[in-house]
Parts: sequence; C-alpha cells; structure tokens
Amino acid sequence: MEVVDIRPILAPMLSLVCAGLIFLTGRQAFWRRMWSLLAAALKLGVVMSMLPGTLNGTIYVFKLTDFTPGIGLGFRVDALGMFFAIVSSTLWLLTTIYAIGYMEPEESKVRFFGFFALCVSTTVGIAFAENLLTLFLFYESLTIVTYPLVIHEETPAAFKAGKKYLVYTLIGGAFILLGTVLTYHTAGTLTLSKPGILTLANGTQTLTLLFVTLIAGFGVKAAIMPLHGWLPTAMAAPTPVSALLHAVAVVKAGAFGILRVIYNVFGVELLRQLNLTVWLAWLAAFTILTASFIALFQDNFKRRLAYSTVSQLSYIILGAALLTPMAAMAAIVHIANQAFAKITMFFVAGAIQRKTGKTSIREFAGIGYQMPYTMGAFTVAALSFVGVPLFAGFITKWYLSLGALEAGAWWFVVVMIASALLNAAYFLPIVYLAYFKAPPGTRFHVDEAPLTLLIPTVICALYVIVLGTTAEVPWMPLSLARTAVQFFFGT
Amino acid sequence: MVSWPHWLVTIIIVPLVGAVLTPVVGRGRPKVIPIWALGIMTATSLAALMLIIRVAQEGPFSYLVGGWARPYGIELHFDEFSASVGIICLVGWLALLFSYHYVAETIPARRVPYFYTLVLLNLTGMIGFVVTGDLFNLFVFLEILSLSAYALVAVSGEHIAEMAAFKYLVMGAVSSIVVLLSIGLLYSVTGSLNMADIASRLAGVEQRLPVMLALAGLAMSFMVKAALFPLHIWLPDAHSIAPSPVSAILSGLVVKVGVFGLLRVYQIFYGAGTYDLTGLNTALVWLGAISIVMGAFFAIFQEDIKMMLAYSTISNIGYIVMGLGLASQYSLIGATVHIFNHALIKGTLFLAAGAIIHKTGYRTLTDLRGVGKAMPVTCMAVSIGAISIVGIPPTAGFLCKWYIALGAFQAGKPAFGIALIFGALFIFIYYIRMVNSFYFQKPTHPEILEVGEAPLSMLIPILVLATLCLVMGILGRIPISFIEPAVIRMLGPFGG
Repeated sequence: MEVVDIRPILAPMLSLVCAGLIFLTGRQAFWRRMWSLLAAALKLGVVMSMLPGTLNGTIYVFKLTDFTPGIGLGFRVDALGMFFAIVSSTLWLLTTIYAIGYMEPEESKVRFFGFFALCVSTTVGIAFAENLLTLFLFYESLTIVTYPLVIHEETPAAFKAGKKYLVYTLIGGAFILLGTVLTYHTAGTLTLSKPGILTLANGTQTLTLLFVTLIAGFGVKAAIMPLHGWLPTAMAAPTPVSALLHAVAVVKAGAFGILRVIYNVFGVELLRQLNLTVWLAWLAAFTILTASFIALFQDNFKRRLAYSTVSQLSYIILGAALLTPMAAMAAIVHIANQAFAKITMFFVAGAIQRKTGKTSIREFAGIGYQMPYTMGAFTVAALSFVGVPLFAGFITKWYLSLGALEAGAWWFVVVMIASALLNAAYFLPIVYLAYFKAPPGTRFHVDEAPLTLLIPTVICALYVIVLGTTAEVPWMPLSLARTAVQFFFGT
Repeated sequence: MVSWPHWLVTIIIVPLVGAVLTPVVGRGRPKVIPIWALGIMTATSLAALMLIIRVAQEGPFSYLVGGWARPYGIELHFDEFSASVGIICLVGWLALLFSYHYVAETIPARRVPYFYTLVLLNLTGMIGFVVTGDLFNLFVFLEILSLSAYALVAVSGEHIAEMAAFKYLVMGAVSSIVVLLSIGLLYSVTGSLNMADIASRLAGVEQRLPVMLALAGLAMSFMVKAALFPLHIWLPDAHSIAPSPVSAILSGLVVKVGVFGLLRVYQIFYGAGTYDLTGLNTALVWLGAISIVMGAFFAIFQEDIKMMLAYSTISNIGYIVMGLGLASQYSLIGATVHIFNHALIKGTLFLAAGAIIHKTGYRTLTDLRGVGKAMPVTCMAVSIGAISIVGIPPTAGFLCKWYIALGAFQAGKPAFGIALIFGALFIFIYYIRMVNSFYFQKPTHPEILEVGEAPLSMLIPILVLATLCLVMGILGRIPISFIEPAVIRMLGPFGG
C-alpha cells in the first residue's frame, strides 16, 4: 500500500538545510555543533517514525517534480531503502558527536561540517530514491560532496588521494549513467518499485551488457577488486571521514546500488535465467580472500582496516549474487553489521591517533593498559568480524552460509570459513599486542580519549553485541531485511 | 497584449534604434549610457516574453513586414526555436548590468558609448537571426552580429586583442561570404529566399548539384561560426581576450548562431523531404565527438581561466552538434535545450571569471590560489557552473547529456552516447583543477585574501545565472516539453 507522505523528502532535506545553516553561521563553534546535532537527531527521528509503517508493508512515497518528462525526482521508502537510511542516520548522529571532539584542533571546520551534512543528505537520498535516475543523481552528488572531505588536510598526499578518488568514482559514475540510459532505452522506465523491470524479451546480449555496465559502475564504490584502488589511498582523510567513507556513506552506496540492480532492475527470476551472477559471486569470493591476505601485511592501522573493508563489502555482493532468500538476507543485514563494527574500529583508530599519535600497529603494544575501554570496543568489533556467535558478524556468516547451501554452492561456505580465519589472523594480534605484549614495567593507568570520542565508540561496540544477540526480536534490522527479501523473492 | 501582432518587428527595431542612438543620448552624459542600454534591453525582453507566451499558446506564427506577402516581402517567422530570443535577452541584459562598473573601470571613457552600441547591435543581430523567415535577412543579421563581435573583441585594447580580433575577422568573413554564395545558389534553383518557400520548392528541383553545393557551403560556414573542431582556431583567443561581459555574450550566445544556422538548414532540408542527409549527419556526429574530446584536451593544458572556459565552449558545441547529427528525437531535444542551458552556464562562468579577474588582477590558476576564501559568493557560482557544465545532475548541464546519450541509443549509434558520457569526464579534470586552486591550495599571493566581493552590479548577474543553472536542471521538463513539438514537427517523417 503506497501512501504519499512528506517524510521521505524531509529526511534528506533536513541535512541539506543543516548544511546551509552551517555554511552561513558555522563560524561560531556553538551554532556549528548545534545545527549538526539537531539535524542529526531530528533526521533520525523522522526516519525512525516511518519504521513501524514500513514493517507493516506501508510504502511512503513523495514525488517532488518531473525532472525530465516521465522521470520524476521521486522518493519512495521501501524496506531495503529504510534499512540503509536507518543505518546511515544512526551512524551520522554518532559520527557527528565523534567528529566534534576529533576535529577540535583542525582547520576549516565550517567546510568540514557543512560537507559532512551534505554527505548524509545525499546518502539518504540514495536510500529513498524512487528510480534509477534519482539514485544516480544522489550517487554523483555524493561523489562531489565527499571530495572536500577527502582532501581536507590539503597536503600533497590528500590531493593525490582526492584525485584518485575522483578518477575512480567518476568513471564508475559514467558507467552507471550509461547503464541508466540503456535501461531506460530498453525498459522504457527506471522505477525501482518493482522486483525487476527488465524481461528476457529484451535480448540476452543487451541484458548481459547492461548488467556488466551497472555492476562495474556501482562496483567502484563497493570496492570490488580490481576496482578497489581508491579506498586504501583515501585513508589520507581525517578519521571521521574515513569512518563515514568506509562504514556508511560511500562504500555502502555502491553496495546498495548493486542490491538495487540485482533485485529491482533485473529481478531475481531474470538473473536466474540469465545465469549472470555466477561470475559476480566468484569475483566477490576472490575479493573477500585477496583483500584479507593484503590486510595481513599492512602495518598502518587504518590501511589494515581499509583492506578489511574491501573484504567485508564483498560479503554483501556475494550474498546478493547467490540469489537465494537466505543469502539475500545476509547481504542486506550485513550493511548494518559491517557498518557498526567497522565504524567502531575507525573510531578506535582515531581515538588512539589523537591520544597517543600512534598510527602503526607495531606501536600498539600495551595500549590496552592505557585505553582499556577503547581497546575493549575494538575487541568486540574484531570478534564480530571473525564471526564469533553473539556478535553481529555471526548473523551474516550464518545466513550467508545457509544461503550458499541453499544455492547448492558449498564451496562458498569454505570461503566463509577461510575468511573468518583470515579475519582472526589480522585482527586478533592487535588485541593480543594491546593487552599481553606490554613493554615490561607498563602500569595499568587509565588515560582515555576525551568523552566525545569515547562515548560514540562504546555505543557502537555495544550495538554490535545487540545486533548479534537480538536478531529475532521484532523491530530489529533482521525483521526489516526479511520484509525486503519477501518482496524481492515474492514469498 | 500577447496577441498584439507587431511584437515580432518591435523586438528587432527597439534594440536596433536604441543601439544607433546610444552615442547621441550619451553625449556629455556618460552616466546615462548604461541605464539607457539597460532600458532598451528591458523593452526588448518584454517583447521577447510576449512572443514566447504567444508561441507557447498557439504555435509558430509569422509577421509580414509592411504587409508584403512572400516570396517578395520580408517575412519574420517565430517558432519554438526562435524562443532563443528569451535567452539572448536574459544573458544580454545581465551582461549589460555586469558592464555597469566593469566597463567604466576598464575601457577608456571615449569608447564607452561605442561599447554599448556594439553590444546592443550584436544582440539585435542575434535576435534578428533567430526570428527571420528569410534567408537573405539571415545573412544580413549574421553580418550585423559578426561585425559587431569582431569590434567587441578588439575593444579591450590589450596587446593581443587586435590579433585575436583579426583572426576572428578573417575566419568569420570567409564563412560569411560562403553563406552568401550558398544562399545565391539556392535562390538560383528555387527562385525564392523565403525559407518555408525554399523548403517546399526544393523537393521538385531537378539539378541536385547546386543544391548539394549550397548545403555543403552553409554547413561548412556555420561550422566555422560554431567553432567546431578543426575550425575552432579563432575562438580561444577571441573569447578569452574580450572584456568579460562580452566573453559571456560571445561564448554563451554568438557561437550558438552557428549551431542555430545549422538547425535552420536542417529545417529547410527536412522540410523538403527528398534529400538524403546521412553524409552531413555522419560528419556532424564525428566532428561533434572530436570537438568534445579535443576541446577538453586543450583546456587541460591552459593556465588562464578564461582560456579554459573558451576551450570548454568548444566541447559543449561538440555536444550540441553531435545531438544535431544523431538526428533522433531525443538527441535533437537534448541539443536544442543545451543551446539554452549552455548559455546560462557559460554566462555564469565567464561573468564570475570576469569578476574575479577584475577584483584580483590575476587570471591564471596559480596566481588565483585561495581566491575562494576572498570571494566566496563568486566562487560558489563558479563551482555551480563547473558542476553544471560537467553535467552532474540535477544541474542544467545534465539534461543534454541524458537526452543526447538516449538519442544515440535511439538512433542506433550507442558508441557516440558512450563517447559523450566518457568525454564529459575529461572536462571534469580541468574544472577540478580550478576548484582545487580556488579553494584548497595555499595562496601564491597572500594579498589575494584581502580582496572582497565584486560590486552588486556584477554579483547580481552572476548569482541570477548560477541560480538558473540549478533551477533549469530541476525543472528540466519545462524547456523540454516546450521544444518537443517543434522537434517532432521538424523531423517529420524522419522522426525516430
């Protein structure tokens, strides 16, 4: 049942207005913080207020204007979009609190917080986009508004990272535009409101070409190998930005785009007939393992996290490519599971860097004696990635393995297990170093990061446990994912 | 008021008379001149508004000057494409407002009245060019606008200005002669100068050779006027050396005359119905594609911001011409709408660049580092213009990319759609350099941080145009649904 409602557009507009206010009055720290926090809280409220309706099968829609004749700038809140929007607005609030503390000694804070708000505005726009063109519109805008964040430090390394980021994502954007044009030419519509708009009658060759074009386009931001090169370089950005890039906005926009392409543009039925997703599943499996191997050898903490992100994102891709309900559920729910665990880790990296100036893992020996809460949060996130039961990551691995068996592809279960081992191999030594390899004479002496950094970190870590233990409780993300899956698979 | 029949002749007479009278009115009263010019353009804009409303209500209409019927009398014809008078008046009016302080401070006082005369004449020429229904008048107005444009390039008096103007003059004059020759050829075989008449008579013409020669001549010379690669060599110097308000007019409007001429030629030959235009279409599509890439390629190596903008015009003309050559419904809609939108975008960029150069005295990227902090409003306009010209949605520049790419698929030539989409990425490279230098790099000249915003007479035109870049993107359906019937009518049986 579709209901016209202002809230789907209100959510992105709030952040947009917030960005405007920050640019106008942000020179004073008070207003800058005030607007950022107010908008983040209000927006979370708006998004959450739609959750009961979405769970009951109500679809909120809002059409702003006909952008070009026949293709509206439209917003539509379905279960999948809702899922992404909740994740990004929750994390925006936490990241804003964190950023207020973290950015204290930095320059150009007006610009930073302004573009930060714009970034989230476009992310929610992506989540609620009614058609592929609206999605593309926000997707490209996201590229543009993250650029000033990536090069925030204005160092040569930052400019290099910014350039690389733009080259990768804009070429990806061009592929998406091409795919969108071709979709409109073939299907005559761009709507994302159906479980698939293309049919076999459009010709296998065209469909194959279209699939490759769209996946290649979205695959850049989703960092599927070999399109992942921008992501480790973008580590030059300040930590809250890395957190946002890696956990919430940019990479998830890519993954979300791929989910939309598979479930809403092509549809599960058509892709099964075309047999196109097999190579995508293998590519995802390859990315999961290779990126983990590379992560093993990174000594810079943020770089290790970056390669871990590359690896984790492909869980989502693999889940989507398997085309079974269980795997789809894993793919969707991993958007949240990966986001909360990864953002915890980035918060930890930032807190350690601000507090002690340490950026390479070698220097972390004994840091658990100084920052026990921060490292505790890290331990939780690490265990989640390894896939220990009761932590969020286990839910993903469980459903993904079930989904793989459902599809009759047991070898992906092997990939899962190998990946769990690799995750353990590159995250647990950090925990070990922090607690058990302290230099002789280290005393237990709590000297934590400021509260603005610590509180968001701990909340995220706790939420990772909540996600892992309450999966079957109604209103939790899994129920939303289940609603989405029911729609896509028609069960 | 809308139905008053004489608006169509008023829109030419008012600026023409106003232009001629400017030096007389301004004699001894230099302060009156800009206000007079603005007044004239306001009246012209009013006429343009009436005409556009009328064409939207009742479709194309004609006006016979002095009541003489065709083929002997002069016919003015206003169709949806002629609605370009709207953008001519808008950009012209804003450029005149921009000139208010700019000209007073950069051009010697005794030349000021002639500057305004030339601008008004130039605008008259363009208005006449788009509303005439008669090929010979088309040539006359083409000459009015070309001659005034040559003089306007030279008016700044900078050391390479004469050379730039001379280069422009030589290329422009040769192409004008070819236009005249081609018109003569068409007259010799059809016995008429009226475009609608020629279209209906061409179908029955036995001798195809002179007609094809005329077609080739017109196409070639309009390509020169449109600065299509490799006939673009006059453009970069002329557009970058001219005073900034003039650059906005030249780059936003005057080069479009070439494109518009091509459009009229197509109208005649599609109307005739029996000519195979595949050859011309193929040439245009390829030249368009090459222009997109080459324009962007040259722009990457420029340091001078106005030079960059000038090369970017070549790329954009490439889009439009490619859209014309693809000759499908979507691509033609994209091309014609981009004629409007590019004028808005390039107007924004050239006026903003003008304000920046005027305030700081620098014009290269290295010198201008950090100007974004000193002139935040102007530089925001530059950013909007840059995003728009690269075609990031929802700005005005995106519509043409979307429609021309869609048109390429519709015409069965997807390769050109791909070339267009990826060619646009090249354009991004140099606009990113510009944005980087304005905002994110340490100033080369620290005193640049002290300059403030330009006076309001410069800032308002920039802001109006920048806002329109956004608005026309979001409300893209308005120009598209306006132009669609004209495109369908023009393509006729060829419509895809």
